[in-house]
Formats: sequence, structure tokens, C-alpha cells
Amino acid sequence: MSQKVITFKKVTKTYKLFKSDKKRLLHIFFKKIKYKEKKAVDNVSFSIKKGEAVAIFGRNGAGKSTILKMITGVTFPTEGEIEVNGRVSALLELTSGFDPEFTGRENIYLKGQILGIKDSEIAELEKDIVNFAELEEYIDQPIRTYSSGMKARLGFSINVNIKPEILIVDEALSVGDESFKEKCVKKINEIIKKEDVTLLFVTHTTPTAMEFCKRGMVMNKGKVVFDGEIKEAVNKYKSIIKGAKK
Amino acid sequence: MKELINIIKDHIQYRQQILKLAKADLVKTYRGAALGWAWAVIKPAFKIFVYWFAFSIGLRANRDMSGYPFFLWLISGIIPWFYINTMLIQGTACLRKYKYLVTKMKFPISTIPTFVSLSEMIVHIVLMSIVLIIFVAFGYALDLYALQLLFYLLLMFIFFNVWGLFSSMIAAISKDFLNLVKSLVTALFWLSGVLWDVNTISIPWLQKFLMLNPVTLIVNGYRDCLIYKVGFWEHPKRLIYFAIELVIMLVLALWSYRKLRKEVPDVL
Repeated sequence: MSQKVITFKKVTKTYKLFKSDKKRLLHIFFKKIKYKEKKAVDNVSFSIKKGEAVAIFGRNGAGKSTILKMITGVTFPTEGEIEVNGRVSALLELTSGFDPEFTGRENIYLKGQILGIKDSEIAELEKDIVNFAELEEYIDQPIRTYSSGMKARLGFSINVNIKPEILIVDEALSVGDESFKEKCVKKINEIIKKEDVTLLFVTHTTPTAMEFCKRGMVMNKGKVVFDGEIKEAVNKYKSIIKGAKK
Repeated sequence: MKELINIIKDHIQYRQQILKLAKADLVKTYRGAALGWAWAVIKPAFKIFVYWFAFSIGLRANRDMSGYPFFLWLISGIIPWFYINTMLIQGTACLRKYKYLVTKMKFPISTIPTFVSLSEMIVHIVLMSIVLIIFVAFGYALDLYALQLLFYLLLMFIFFNVWGLFSSMIAAISKDFLNLVKSLVTALFWLSGVLWDVNTISIPWLQKFLMLNPVTLIVNGYRDCLIYKVGFWEHPKRLIYFAIELVIMLVLALWSYRKLRKEVPDVL
């Protein structure tokens, strides 16, 4: 049970900011071109065990999304090491990550195939995904005709139903109406309990986080300023917000 | 070197996804239009008609080329150019087109130019089959030289795949590069001997120089198979130069991949 699934060792992520895209192109050939550096994540270390549910709090720009993107394997750290074991299913910006020309159903297959799931396995999951997303006849329409709520529902439905080992939820529950939100919360609870899924949950709504998570991490300006009990984390986060208001 | 091994590993590991995505790319290009798949044939047919009209009616260049009608000479070289043309532009734009694979999920981005190229290759094979049927319909039987088409097809596929890897990485960083490529494609088309015969250039050094162009080598190679009946082994020097160019292209591709792989997801 105490197997570590995610380990961050002194991870730093620096973005290079150029004045224009032209400068960025020139930088490939000439090292002299000047740019500003922005540390999005600054010397962060932590580890998460299998089956843990961790909430990450922080104001906009604190580096939460960058951390999640690095766990997903989309972006790479500038310094430090990251180890991730298990199939990551990420709900980063739910409305994207689809091919707009394909129908909802085709996108289910495409996404499954990209993740390396067999067609026969996807066919088994398909029904659950379609039912959960409540898209009904829209499932066979191209995604470009979907509203953002519909895309979000489909995205959520795919990601929780493909049997993830590590589930990353980034602000996902802020879309959709109340009843769908409740359904999502229920589903997440179900998979954490039954399938021993590791959950990473990023949100600004602290009560939802307290429903699933025992551990909370608070980030501020690229650093982890608190890591521990969820209640204390919430308090710490609230004090940071108050501090910012003043 | 490490990059090359990684890229090959990615391709082996994701081989099924590459095939699926190539299929999806093809479906996406031609679906949604009333005529659908027919466009894959109509578009090139229309272009061929325009060039044929301009050259044989307008410029009265309607003479036989090595005993073959101008029309057959035209199609045997222009079909590979269509593939090259698409790869030059789509190959460069592919990371932008498949942005969601780069920034929204873990996916080996070196395979994106490959499946874009594969999808275009399917169109190319269909068009080439039509060309072969036309040759037979005109009463020109195919011989063993036609088998060499596979050789030139492979050369073209490999070269422009490597090109795609190089150019898509650069184009992901800057849109200027895509515009640059787009504006150079037309020039390349007219300079590469797709519509005129390189072999009839009377200045020997110029002819040799023009044959250094990989596009010319491939287009001329296709015509060697169907019109001139020349074996690829008869011009070993040309192939050696082509191999050198391929190696340079590969080095450039690996350089841009190593340099930009980690930066591309942050900027796209």
C-alpha cells in the first residue's frame, strides 16, 4: 500500500519569456538573444503514495497547473527529477484534447487508442462513457458542434471511465450544472475507494476538496508552502488569500 | 545519437497508434464534404488538367517525350510532387495541427510527422495506381522498370518524413518558418523540373547541379521507371549525393528535436 506513485525531487520549471516569437526563433540559432526567466515551479519536492487523495491549493499562477502538466508528462522539468508509476488520466482543461472534426464516439476511440487501450476494451467501456456523459444523440455529432459544458462532460466521462491509476482533476468540477457536479463527485469517490486510484485534485472550492482528500498541499509563487492535514491546508490557503487582498 | 534511438523506440512502441492516427488523419481530411473521398482524386486531376492545358495548348509543348505522350510524362512526375508538396507544408504545420496531442496528453511528438506522412502516402499510392492504369489504358505495358517505383517511393517517404520532423519542430516555435516554407514551395516546384525535363538541359554542369535537388531526383526517378526506362543503379553518383543530403537532413532533424522537444509543449 505504501508504494510511491509520484515522486518529485527538487523540481524546478523555468519558462523562457521572449519579447516576440521572432526572438524565440532567433534564439534557436543565436544564444545571445535576451529573454526573461519566470520560475513557475521552484525547487519542489514531495511524494505521493498509492491510493492517496491529495488536494493542491494555490492562487492563480502559483504553479499548480505546471506541476500537474509535469506529472502527466506533457511538459518537462528544467531541473530535478520526476518519477511517475501508473496510467495517468488527466482532466486538464476538460474542453480541449479532442479532435473537433470527429464525433464524440470517435473521440472516445481515438483517445483510448492513443492511450494504448485495445479496441475491444474500449468497446466495453464505451457504453458507460456515453451514459455518464449524458450526451444522448449528440454523441454521434462532431465535437466542434458541442457546447463547452458538453465537451467537459465527455472529457470527464472518458477520463474517469478508462480505469486510471492516477487521476488528475484540474478545476474540472467548476463546469456543468449542480446535478452533474454531484454525479462527478460521487464517481470520483467511487473510484478512489474501489479501485485504489491515486487522486490529485486542484481546486479553489475548498469544501469539495475536503470531501475526498485527507492531505492538502498549498502552493504560493512556485513553492510548496504547506503539505499536510487537509484542514490545516485549507486554513493556510485562506490566510494566503486574505494576505493577498490586503 | 541518443535522440535517434529514442525516436525509433517511440515509433516501435506507438506503431499501432501511428497507424490509427494516420487513418484518422485521412478520414478527417476528406469527410464532411459532399463528394468526400472523390476530392482526393478531383483536386489533383484538376491541377493536372490546368498544367496540361497551359503547356500543351498554351505553350504548344505537346510533343512526345521519349516516345510517350506529354500527358503521360506529366502525370508520372507530378503525382510524386503532390506528395512532396503536401509534406513540405503539412509536414511543417503538423505539430500545430495536432496541438492537442502535444499539449494535452503524453504522446511522443516525433511520431506526429510520421502519421501525417503515412496518411498522405495512402493517397499517393491510390493516385499512382491510377497513373499505372492510365499507362496501360494508353497501350503502354508496364515492364520490370516499373518495379523501381517502390524504391523511389521509399526514398521519398524517408526523406520527407525526416524533413517533417525537422521543420515541424521549428514551425512549432515560430509561425514565420511556416510562412517561409509556404512561400518557397512554389519556387521549388518550378525549379525542380516537375514540368520540364532536366535531362534536356544542354549545359552539363547546370544539369548536374539541378540533379542535386532531392525533389528533382525523385521526380526524375519516377519518370525513369515509367518513361525513360533507366535503372536506379545507372546513376550511382546521384544516389550518393542524395544519401549525403538525407544524412544532413537527419542531423538537422535530430538537432532540432534535441533542442526543442522540451520547449515545444510550453509554447504551442
